Amino acid sequence: MAKTLQERRAERQLMIVLLPSLLLLLAFVIYPAIYSVYLSFTNEALTGAAARAPRFVGWRNYTRLFNDAKFWNALFVTFVFVLGSAIIGQFVLGLVSAIALRRRLVFRTLFSSIILLPNAAPEVVAGFMWISMLAGGDHATLSRIVSFFGLPTADWLQVFPLAMIIVVNTWRGIATAMILLTAGLSTIPQEIYEAARMDGATPAQMFRRITLPLMMPTILLYMLISTVSTIAVFGLVYALTRGGPGGATELISIYIYNQSFTAYQLGYGAAVAVIALLVSLMLGIAYVRAAKVEI
Amino acid sequence: MKKTVFGGLCAILLGCTSTFVQAETLRLANHGQAGIDAMKSTVERIEKKLGVKVEVVEYPAPDKDYLSKLLTELGAGNGPDLFSMPSTAAVADMVDAGYLAPITTEINAWDGYKNFYDVAKKLAVSPDGETYVMPYMLGIQEIYYRKDVLEKAGISTGQPKTWDDLIARAEEIKTKTGAYGLLFPAGVSWGSGAFDEGFQHLIVGSKTPQIVTDDGKLDLNGEGVKDVFNVYKTLIDKDLMPVQPLLGPEPWVIPKYELFPAGKLVATTCGSWCYIFDWGRESKNPIPDVTKVVGTWTVPGQTGGQFVLANLAAPWAVNAKSANVELAKKALLEIGSVETQVSYAARIGNIPASKDAASDPEFQKLTELVPIHAAAEKGTFLKQAAGFGTVAEGVARATDALLRKEVDAAGAQKILVDYVKETLGDDAVK
Repeated sequence: MAKTLQERRAERQLMIVLLPSLLLLLAFVIYPAIYSVYLSFTNEALTGAAARAPRFVGWRNYTRLFNDAKFWNALFVTFVFVLGSAIIGQFVLGLVSAIALRRRLVFRTLFSSIILLPNAAPEVVAGFMWISMLAGGDHATLSRIVSFFGLPTADWLQVFPLAMIIVVNTWRGIATAMILLTAGLSTIPQEIYEAARMDGATPAQMFRRITLPLMMPTILLYMLISTVSTIAVFGLVYALTRGGPGGATELISIYIYNQSFTAYQLGYGAAVAVIALLVSLMLGIAYVRAAKVEI
Repeated sequence: MKKTVFGGLCAILLGCTSTFVQAETLRLANHGQAGIDAMKSTVERIEKKLGVKVEVVEYPAPDKDYLSKLLTELGAGNGPDLFSMPSTAAVADMVDAGYLAPITTEINAWDGYKNFYDVAKKLAVSPDGETYVMPYMLGIQEIYYRKDVLEKAGISTGQPKTWDDLIARAEEIKTKTGAYGLLFPAGVSWGSGAFDEGFQHLIVGSKTPQIVTDDGKLDLNGEGVKDVFNVYKTLIDKDLMPVQPLLGPEPWVIPKYELFPAGKLVATTCGSWCYIFDWGRESKNPIPDVTKVVGTWTVPGQTGGQFVLANLAAPWAVNAKSANVELAKKALLEIGSVETQVSYAARIGNIPASKDAASDPEFQKLTELVPIHAAAEKGTFLKQAAGFGTVAEGVARATDALLRKEVDAAGAQKILVDYVKETLGDDAVK
């Protein structure tokens, strides 16, 4: 059926509204992504002979990558980091904060502000702040605290590097989780809880049977955003450990940086970035399918 | 209509004028505030003498970040006209990349160059025989030790003759004072310092004193490389050098600015700048009478010989793709002047490459540097080659593994060789 004049005009207006966003996406997302794929098939470098005359190397970067133990280590570290900080740490603490702050608490506004504070500090500043907390052996703030209680001290970033970056990233991400999950909680009608209460449901039953199922779309959306953004975390961890010691905190983002801007191998770095992009894409598709949302 | 046309013409004229003005502007990238301060009078001189506007841009201070930003801009074709480089090791690769304009003709025709130390001139020559950098400052490094601590403990302050002698002295220090005996910078956090301020000192006195073969390959499988890593291994295993601080994010802070001034670290490699900035009058934690209580040893060779390491300190170069290469080259010669050298020496603590600096009244005031300047010609150095930047990173990784006690000397050598091969290809390594 032919479109009416009004429909065509509405479509045109829609296109005009969308055009700036499309152009920006094209210039700053699509084009760089395509260019990265192209780079990943070359030996392009930032310095040395390859910077002057880069050449096409076919699948060589990818072959090298799949045989590179450090790449697999970076993937594994990223997996544990995402699982520990985004999926477990931020989600659990964010949900607890969201539920707690729905109740009438004394100093509720103060608590909300405290939870939001970690997001106020730029990530590199936050990283250096945590260095003073964790690095320096006996001089570290955390060491002084534990020694006050008679517990053994440690150089935390050397002995428990991965656990420490998980703690720091959890600290930084609670606010985002709390805001999203608070929005999800507010969509659940209070009448349902009242009815459950009248039927004699315990708080645990109400949480398991009402809160969780009704919040599932919000939770999955949070998981999607949080997973993808945590895979891309760079500044905070780079400021804290630079990926060390010995690759123990070398996330895929830091590995890409190290290959591209420490070893100056843009081609190989681009190949790793393409794989990271594919991983993020697959996770995104999985979440979207699980949430059954239409994008 | 006429107004519109007139307005348009004015806009075009303004555009042309601003383009013209831009072409006469030189952009200089410098490394840290001290460097910018040192260049202040030089910038004014360049502007006056060459009739150009000079825009000085401060880039990030850590060496690695500075170099990454510089290379990214040069690669993208929008780099500064003139720039300093944090390490000599980066030069050969940048030449290969085509980033640096050759200055051989200009520098050889320049009167000021005749009085430069030969060691500076040799360091400035790239593997292709051309000169691309202004070698106006030298980093002269050796071992600095706490004379007062040794004398008090009844330990010899005499020059150690061999590596074994040096390690034995460090052991004696540990036994008699409880302090760390010797530090060679190491590990990934120290960046290029692990190579520039640590590894190089030892490799020049090893069985394989050069790591570049005649055909430009990197000879990293040599016995000398393993022996050098073995020195690190011994110092670490015997707890003769501090390890934990070197694994942290700012590894130099505790050993150089806390342990050494407190006498808890007795000997460390360092450069001429240490007398002024690390422990001297410009330090936040100065050692009183620093030149009296802190002495120097040359670095002994494995089985003999004495070595004082010479590097080019932050050499300047001209961007080959600069809009005005000739003008930038003229400005570069101004940077090479004795006045600029002395200004840098006063603020950074490096040694002027020109012999004429000795008679400069301002330089004579820098009493800590005068004797080092007089002896600068004796400096030893590694022959440069493409790939040195990668070797420096490989050394940092290898020594990091040694610090974490994960490998022995052979394992550290394997880390270095594997990293260089992975990065530059198997053919790059002999």
